[in-house]
Amino acid sequence: MKRGSSRTSVKKDLEEIVQTCNSIENRQFSPFLLDVSEALRILRLHAGDLNRLEDHLLDMRAITGIARVVGLQSSQLRFQSTSLFLDPELAKQKLEGLSRQQLAEFFLLSWHPVTELEQLVMPAVKEASEYWKKMLSFFERRGKFDLGQFDSPGTFGLGDLGSSGMMEDQSFTERLQGLWNELKSRAKSGEGVEYWSFVRSQDFRETVSRAQLVSFLVSYGYANMDKNGDRIVLTPNETPVLQTEGSPHSFPIPIPWEKAPA
Amino acid sequence: MTVEPRKEETVYSDRLKRAAHMLFFKRGKIPGARTWELRTGLGKGFQKTLSDLDDVLKELDLEVKRVEVQSLGETQASLEGEEDYRYFVRLKGTLTPKEARMSGWRIDNLAAMAACFGLIVSKQGKCERKELEELVAHKAGRWRTLTLVDTFLRTGYLEEDEEGLVKLGWRTRAEVDLQALMMLLAESKPEAEPVGVEEEADQAAI
Repeated sequence: MKRGSSRTSVKKDLEEIVQTCNSIENRQFSPFLLDVSEALRILRLHAGDLNRLEDHLLDMRAITGIARVVGLQSSQLRFQSTSLFLDPELAKQKLEGLSRQQLAEFFLLSWHPVTELEQLVMPAVKEASEYWKKMLSFFERRGKFDLGQFDSPGTFGLGDLGSSGMMEDQSFTERLQGLWNELKSRAKSGEGVEYWSFVRSQDFRETVSRAQLVSFLVSYGYANMDKNGDRIVLTPNETPVLQTEGSPHSFPIPIPWEKAPA
Repeated sequence: MTVEPRKEETVYSDRLKRAAHMLFFKRGKIPGARTWELRTGLGKGFQKTLSDLDDVLKELDLEVKRVEVQSLGETQASLEGEEDYRYFVRLKGTLTPKEARMSGWRIDNLAAMAACFGLIVSKQGKCERKELEELVAHKAGRWRTLTLVDTFLRTGYLEEDEEGLVKLGWRTRAEVDLQALMMLLAESKPEAEPVGVEEEADQAAI
């Protein structure tokens, strides 16, 4: 009885392997679905229980099936390696994990830029010539806009540029230095200065400008910024202290219109 | 009495010079020349001339590269059954990071290009623009990404179809050894991003 049940189990195991191999060969499953070493272990386990010819034939069919699956695994690997195959998720993970420097180096190692020299060709010269011939003179074009009498070009000095707001009368570093000195003079014996009382000015434009400069003071380590509830406190440093530990983070401070003095 | 060695002057054939002119000087939107152009300009044995040109250019670390017209997205203009290629002159070796920077390429741009090509190739040649931008934004920031992807599209490294899918452009096919790039990516091990001066400056600007 025991022998009979053992034979049934052997037959069942071998038939399962044969069936799985057939399904893989018929492209129903991926060749990597079959654990080849586990299948071979099962065959070895039952090797001693094979007595009848049909058992040996089944064993042979199972071995042949496994061999064919290994062949399919091999050809699939070869296909994947030659057709630039890389799993999209794995590729994304890799790309996100690599530093900019690494990615740039990889690109440079596989990059062979094409040489190309610009040149004038006859159609382009003809087109340019036609355009030039058809173009109206400067004074004719100007006349269309009704701009009145033509003024001779004048001069625009540094003072004019400063008064029109196109150029700062002080350099950025000077302004930063000035604000740092002001903060140091207003901070009493190590105590900080309340952010809004320091930043607020008579003019809203000036308030925004001071807030921007304060952001640079904090980023460059000229001052520290602490938050206690709703109160933001600025503490000047005697010398710039650059934070090297931890990752830098930004702290946005909106400047509402109410902060402007009436 | 010593005899000074005579300098031998190299003489190149007219066909070779014409081939160099055709490949170096850009005549249309895409540089290089196509099979039919070369056949018209150089005659039937143009392939032999190109092979000679390749030998001459080798000494200058340049090479003649042949790319299938269909993979460049151009329309085939040859007789049925006849192969149609575009020939380019390109760098045989590679550029160092310093050389690349001197030719106007930022490290950020090169890294973004590698990321774009890696993702598109892994997606079997096509990828949604949004997904690509998300990946690049991870490295270069959101605002810079929009400009970068547009630049890659304009310069021919990428192409966008009517469905909004992004694929590799003609320039990538001509310039990038995708197999080498994918191999490098597959074999890579991630290392920590160094905090550069540039990044610190960005943070300060924020």
